[in-house]
Amino acid sequence: MPDVGRFLARANWPGLCTIALGFLLWELLLRAGLAHYQNLPPPSAIAGGLLEITRNGQLLADALHTLRVVLVGWAAALVIGVASGLVLGVSATLRNYSLASIEVLRPMPGIAFAPVALLLFGFSLQMELMVVVLPALWPVLINTMGAVAGVHARLFDVGRTFRLSGAEILRKVMLPAALPGVLVGARLSLTLALVLAVVAEMVGNPAGLGYAVVREQQAMRPDLLFAYVVAIGALGVGLNAALTGAVAWLFPAAAGRLREAA
Amino acid sequence: MRRFTMRLRTAFAGLPPARGLLPLVLLLAAWQLLQSGPSPYFPAPSQWWTAALALLDRQHLAAAFGATALTFLAGLGLAIAIGTALGVLVGLSDRAARALAPLLEFMRAIPPPVTVPVAALLIGYNERMKLTVVVLSALWPVLLNASAAVRQIDPLLLDVARSFRLGPAARLSRVILPAIVPSLLTGIRVAIPLAIVVTLLVEMLTSLPGIGANLSVLGDAGSALDLGAASKAALPTGKALRFGASSVSPTQSSRIFATGRV
Repeated sequence: MPDVGRFLARANWPGLCTIALGFLLWELLLRAGLAHYQNLPPPSAIAGGLLEITRNGQLLADALHTLRVVLVGWAAALVIGVASGLVLGVSATLRNYSLASIEVLRPMPGIAFAPVALLLFGFSLQMELMVVVLPALWPVLINTMGAVAGVHARLFDVGRTFRLSGAEILRKVMLPAALPGVLVGARLSLTLALVLAVVAEMVGNPAGLGYAVVREQQAMRPDLLFAYVVAIGALGVGLNAALTGAVAWLFPAAAGRLREAA
Repeated sequence: MRRFTMRLRTAFAGLPPARGLLPLVLLLAAWQLLQSGPSPYFPAPSQWWTAALALLDRQHLAAAFGATALTFLAGLGLAIAIGTALGVLVGLSDRAARALAPLLEFMRAIPPPVTVPVAALLIGYNERMKLTVVVLSALWPVLLNASAAVRQIDPLLLDVARSFRLGPAARLSRVILPAIVPSLLTGIRVAIPLAIVVTLLVEMLTSLPGIGANLSVLGDAGSALDLGAASKAALPTGKALRFGASSVSPTQSSRIFATGRV
């Protein structure tokens, strides 16, 4: 069990203690009646709420729905973003004739599309995906484009010297060079996809974790509301950790740069 | 005057060439030409303008725009002030940074929209709640950039300050703050779109006055026409602010623009 020992030694104990102390203080202040908020549940009630929604399976069902939207939307954003990023990265002409359009479209808040998506698709998975994909696309596209455009011209010359075909240049020169940029974009866009999925569920499709938060607020169940908030935070941390772990395992060389970019 | 035009030119230098707007113009033209009759879902661009004028006539847009801009600016200002102060404190002490890191990471992982129901329960539906949510979401990029920048200050600079016997106030204003300005600007650039989106979102979710509330009211009424106009109104704000940020510090911001990351 050397792994466990190393993990215990490396854990940030002061940080975890701070969180524990914060919860303890919160609990004690409420119990002692020093802080009085009508709708603020003590941490023990939140833990009880978490237990309740875990037991009756609601948390799992809601989390799976949101997770599906996030992953499908993220995958779509990755495919479209990497493909168009590659094309724009290779051709300077194309870049010149489209970058300004991208810069105009990019700051459009994705949430502003939620009502449009709702009009088009109604309460459905497509509505959520429309809200998720468009904003999650930009980080992937911009980073891929930047990475490909930054490939040293000499690498292409070398490829040509070896008489590589276009497909081989794409596979052996451009994709490896673009990988770090793609990964940075992928990470930014995963975080964004979770936020957007939750938002789409709050204002649109009544399903998943986002709707659960709104539902519990309207049901005046602050303990369950906070439990869901904690669950969403945990899902965000978990997704991020999973991606970082997967990258470190699959592409050890690129992992360092990804950590830097975070 | 001459200095101003020069500044204007340097401010524009970091932007992509204007001919890149071509695809967007073509898209809008195609939209206009292909859309023959009035459509409830995809109104032709020429109708956006009349819809926007109609909104202006009703004094609707102006008031909503004012409310949104006020919340956004106040929220951003507060987030910058609080984020810088906390960031400097956290950055100056290694122990504080380590103790607070997990808590801050978790808070950051919670999507800002999720704080809306929580804040609504705790504070109620009012301007204070709107502002709280905006500050809570725009705070993180500023705080994290500030603390990282403080930690990266050359220790020599702090030693020099010590040999000159500068007091804490002088050390802060003459050494620390000037050293972290570039990172702070990056953080603020990330915080600006975030604050806009969150302001719109709070308004959409709570129907407190603002453009966001208009968006969801119009969306519910099925009037995609007005919706297009209202969501277009959200766009120039972001553009104007980006331009404002770039004229404040031309060299810094052009470098930030060049990285092209949100």
